[in-house]
Amino acid sequence: MSETKGIAGHGAFFQPTNLSAEDARKATAWVEKVIDKRAVELGERMDDVRDHMWELEKEGEIIVHRITDAHKPVMVKTLFGWDKKIPTSQLWHHKSCGQCGNIPGYPTSLLWTMNGLGMVPGRDYLDETDQTSCTAWNYHGSGIGNVESLAAVFLRNFHQAYVSGKKLGHQPGHFYPLVHCGTSFGNYKEVRKYLVENATLRERVKKILGKLGRLVDGKLVLPEEVVHYSDWVHVMRNEIVSRLQKIDVSKLRVTVHMACHYSKMVHEDAIYDPEVMGGNRAATGTGMAQALGAQVIDYSTWYDCCGFGFRHIISEREFTRSFTIDRKIKVAREEANADLMLGIDTGCITTMDKNQWIGKAHEQQYSLPIMADIQFAALACGADPFKIVQLQWHASPCEEVVEKMGISWDDAKKKFEAYLQDVKAGKIEYLYDPKLADSMARAA
Amino acid sequence: MATYAEMQEIFDDIRRDFRYEHELNGCLNCGICTATCPSAQFYDYSPREIVQLLWTENVEQVYDAMQEKIWACAQCMTCAARCPFKNSPGGLVAIMREVAIKHGMQSAKDVLRPFGRVMLKLITTGNQLSPDMIQPDHFPDWGPNIQKVEGDLKTLRKAIPMKTLQTTDTAWEVSLKTSVEMYTIWEDTGVLKQLETMDENLFDVIEDFIDEKREEYEEWREEHEESEA
Repeated sequence: MSETKGIAGHGAFFQPTNLSAEDARKATAWVEKVIDKRAVELGERMDDVRDHMWELEKEGEIIVHRITDAHKPVMVKTLFGWDKKIPTSQLWHHKSCGQCGNIPGYPTSLLWTMNGLGMVPGRDYLDETDQTSCTAWNYHGSGIGNVESLAAVFLRNFHQAYVSGKKLGHQPGHFYPLVHCGTSFGNYKEVRKYLVENATLRERVKKILGKLGRLVDGKLVLPEEVVHYSDWVHVMRNEIVSRLQKIDVSKLRVTVHMACHYSKMVHEDAIYDPEVMGGNRAATGTGMAQALGAQVIDYSTWYDCCGFGFRHIISEREFTRSFTIDRKIKVAREEANADLMLGIDTGCITTMDKNQWIGKAHEQQYSLPIMADIQFAALACGADPFKIVQLQWHASPCEEVVEKMGISWDDAKKKFEAYLQDVKAGKIEYLYDPKLADSMARAA
Repeated sequence: MATYAEMQEIFDDIRRDFRYEHELNGCLNCGICTATCPSAQFYDYSPREIVQLLWTENVEQVYDAMQEKIWACAQCMTCAARCPFKNSPGGLVAIMREVAIKHGMQSAKDVLRPFGRVMLKLITTGNQLSPDMIQPDHFPDWGPNIQKVEGDLKTLRKAIPMKTLQTTDTAWEVSLKTSVEMYTIWEDTGVLKQLETMDENLFDVIEDFIDEKREEYEEWREEHEESEA
């Protein structure tokens, strides 16, 4: 090893510079100006696909579903400091098959929070039956499907969002799609890029969309922004806290897992915020936890994926469970002594939630409650752990974190079991008028 | 074993995909992709190797990698986010998987066999999984705490306060019209053809199902038109 003693850098020969506070500020400012990591890749090397999208609209090729003032947008910064407009009202819930099938408390917590903020179903949001999944989980897992099918599915779903308000007396474009799933979010951003860049692809899918009656004035409809639900949660976090929070969570040690298909696919579109982890991590999820006042604890494997693998969680489960235990659950417990791991996506939460108990087979006895940012926020705002947050579907020990928040798990469970008798008798409580959901009735 | 000409055809199909130009821009063998790859920690798989084989147009080794290696990729796209050349090894793997299916490679058939149930659900309903597919007895490795409240699935699903989620055989209720539109997409984009190549029996089951649903939709339309008149 070299004996040289430098005055900066990493490793054993690190020494403090002993600069005065003013000189340190100057030095830091110079470094930030010259080698700001966002500036390194910015601008000249990276195309903003949205610029080309506007050109296509001007040339009469497509219609852009705009985010207007009526959508009450909030501006945020993305990885390279670009602006992104996040609509906060008039939202079309584009559900996630993994969430709805497996973690139903994910979408219910989101709608409950929206109701709590005074949003009116049928006017400020819509949940309906005329939508399919993005089909990208299957594509990434099996290779069945192709860009054309992914693009047609994307355009069909987003066209429906565009026209969905018609039978409720709204103008086209009233409801703007809010994508619940991280896989869908990544896939739709990627497919939008291909559609903007490739005229042949546009031509081919236009024929299909025409056949389905899914063109507007003979044109494809593309969204101004692809918006993830965690983007909405992030921009609404302070309002959620100031208007709805009831429970102090400052004693909780929270770790966050950032979804790969949120921050690594078309990564230029992920929100970064200097106030969240110094702008060094994508901000969603973490921003919500910070706003609620929880202790956000960093951990060394924060950048790793969860081990979902699309195909692997079905047919290579040894990989999935080993990776998630070794690189996520164990690290969050041992390094961060976490009470809770939050996620912002379907696959990650399923993977980390369901693959803990099996660790016992290899004496890896780590357990950690796993839930979504919005489920945690809803709990902190007083939502029922069963009726609304639906924690009964989680395999990880969520009861522990509920108790730490001062909510009696047993009491809530008893109340819910009594409610199940009402359900059997047909007395069901809804977050919105169930008639709104029936898209065929509205189409008829 | 394929002939060199067959392997060349497979390689040409990979290169013909319009995404190829997006996903492969050069390679200095720096290995950042492999260093961050979750699958590289568990399998004989390296995204750097995939990129190098394609970049050097190593037709035979590309064919070899398509036997098993490409199916190790977890599609997390960490490699794509890290690559200084803006390559997407994960994106290249996706193209290679599609081509493996197009050519009916036995390796693809073997790997995809456990996917039949998901495929059936997806193609017929537009949902990729459903509550009745993820019941505790299907996943003993998920442990005893998987269902924290006792009760039958139907009642537990009815207790979800969103109308669209009160289903057991789909993740959410998908309207019949939506499903029928989806079938057109599958047909016109060649997805059903892919399925036929991979699993003829599954394809037959799906075709029958689609016919049935289309008839049901036509009946609904006729009834609706009559009531309008």
